[in-house]
Amino acid sequence: MSQKLTAVIIEDEKNICRFMESILAGESYKTITASTGTEGLSVIASQCPDIILLDLGLPDMDGMEIIRNVRGFTSTPIIVISARTREHEKVEALDCGADDYITKPFGTSELMARIRTALRHSHRGGSSDSVYSCGGLVIDFEKRLISLDGEEVHLTQIEYKLVSMLAKQAGKVLTYDYLMQQIWGPYNDSNNQILRVNMAHIRRKLEKNPAEPEYIFTEIGVGYRMREE
Amino acid sequence: MNRTVMLHNIKVTLFFLTAATLLSSAFFLLSHNSANVAILYVLATVFVARHTAGYVPGIVTAFLSVIFINIVFTYPYLELNFTLDGYPVTFLGMVIIASLTSTLTTHLKEQTRILKEREHMLIEAEKEKMRANLLRAISHDLRTPLTGIIGSAAAYLEQESVLTAQDKARLVEDISEDAQWLLHMVENLLSVTRINDQTACVKTTLEPLEEVVSSALQRFRKRLPGAVVHVQIPDELLMIPMDATLIEQVLINLLENAVYHSGSHKPVDLLVSVEGNQACFHIRDYGLGLDAKTLDSLFDGYTSTQNHSSDSHKGMGIGLSICKTIIHAHHGQIFAKNHRDGAEFTFILPLGELTYESEIDSSDH
Repeated sequence: MSQKLTAVIIEDEKNICRFMESILAGESYKTITASTGTEGLSVIASQCPDIILLDLGLPDMDGMEIIRNVRGFTSTPIIVISARTREHEKVEALDCGADDYITKPFGTSELMARIRTALRHSHRGGSSDSVYSCGGLVIDFEKRLISLDGEEVHLTQIEYKLVSMLAKQAGKVLTYDYLMQQIWGPYNDSNNQILRVNMAHIRRKLEKNPAEPEYIFTEIGVGYRMREE
Repeated sequence: MNRTVMLHNIKVTLFFLTAATLLSSAFFLLSHNSANVAILYVLATVFVARHTAGYVPGIVTAFLSVIFINIVFTYPYLELNFTLDGYPVTFLGMVIIASLTSTLTTHLKEQTRILKEREHMLIEAEKEKMRANLLRAISHDLRTPLTGIIGSAAAYLEQESVLTAQDKARLVEDISEDAQWLLHMVENLLSVTRINDQTACVKTTLEPLEEVVSSALQRFRKRLPGAVVHVQIPDELLMIPMDATLIEQVLINLLENAVYHSGSHKPVDLLVSVEGNQACFHIRDYGLGLDAKTLDSLFDGYTSTQNHSSDSHKGMGIGLSICKTIIHAHHGQIFAKNHRDGAEFTFILPLGELTYESEIDSSDH
């Protein structure tokens, strides 16, 4: 890559900001930091970064407001940095337009993996690939065929829709609400049990041991994430 | 006396008087015997005294009763006549009964209130004691890794010039390990805040067992990549009412406990079975087993840190007591015992009504 990718870090905690900067610099990213929401917004507008890392707890502005504001003018991927045990916050951020979240505290490899996934999705711009392949699992989106270790797997309509949606955005977490809306439409009831049950059926068809899945992972209280290689 | 109490008193008094009058009329019309009438009014007086505040309603009821009986149920009917034989005695008797009952019931009410208050205070004191113990355990468990972190960091900063690269790497590794442990502690403590303070209950939703188990395993493996866990859960989909984040925390605590304290590197078993209307989670290790003496106090947290391993920062100090708090908030049970080759921790969650799977199957196909 000839040109450096630019990352904007919006985070008010100096220590966390510093260590994220050094991680990103080590991976040869150009970093710009902002400690307030207002500063962050102006940096994003003027520098057109490739990726935005956003801490939700900022002194001057609500994190959701920043996400909505940024989404008003650009589709640059946003990765939200959030504290654990606050699922509703993550879900809200994702539903507002954030691309992914990472839970504090996180390691170098985790942060970089999330950034790469988000960048890949933003470049691809949806589903240009016609095949998903990971481990023994192959999904051919054109032929609507799923095979596991060379053997064809039969899914119901809804199950196929769910799996293909997750596979097309592999590596990204899709919230319960998003999946419910996409598959059962906007007028479904708020209860997501039907989704959970369908996922359980899928797991029984795709995973050797449902308690130790290889392909589809659960993010408790948030949604599902499909493995990406 | 405030208005609502007065209104309540009036309502109660009227209700019992009306009831007594209706019943008496029925009796009187059927049997023409006025002996039962007086008894019914006495009863009404007792009830009024019992269900109202203060002495006034009871005495008023007694008065009204006597006048009613006089007018309606004694000859000459529908006339007030106090010249009847022995009437003043009846009158006096009723008033005395009314005031005595009022006094007694008021007294009784006061007594129950005091008892309740005392009970409440006892519970509060117990809670306060638990809180103090928890705080003590926390500060102990937090201080140990913090001492490690501060010490290692200071050693690094002050003696950077003389330390070898290997020493430096070790110091930073220690810092990282202690910090991980601290994080684990804090997550445990945070999880408790999800439990409602007043009712000691949690908001539960139906969660697929496999999702919670897999998520817990994922987080566990991230922390301890070397540990091996054998998992076995029922084949059919099991939906269990729970707060998934909390049960995940319990699973992680028990698994880590098994790895750190079994004194062996053999794989740990995680088994889930359904027994009747309950789901039983077993975490079994193949190591040293538990000291029989500590079995009773294992989940109290603070006691176990006192006698042994008080300076090992991997003491399960608050971990197990938090497990207990969480399981109890789910109306479940948790206990530990030894099996032939090690220790086994078991917790049981009630299943509630499980009809969702069949519902989906019938609508889906």
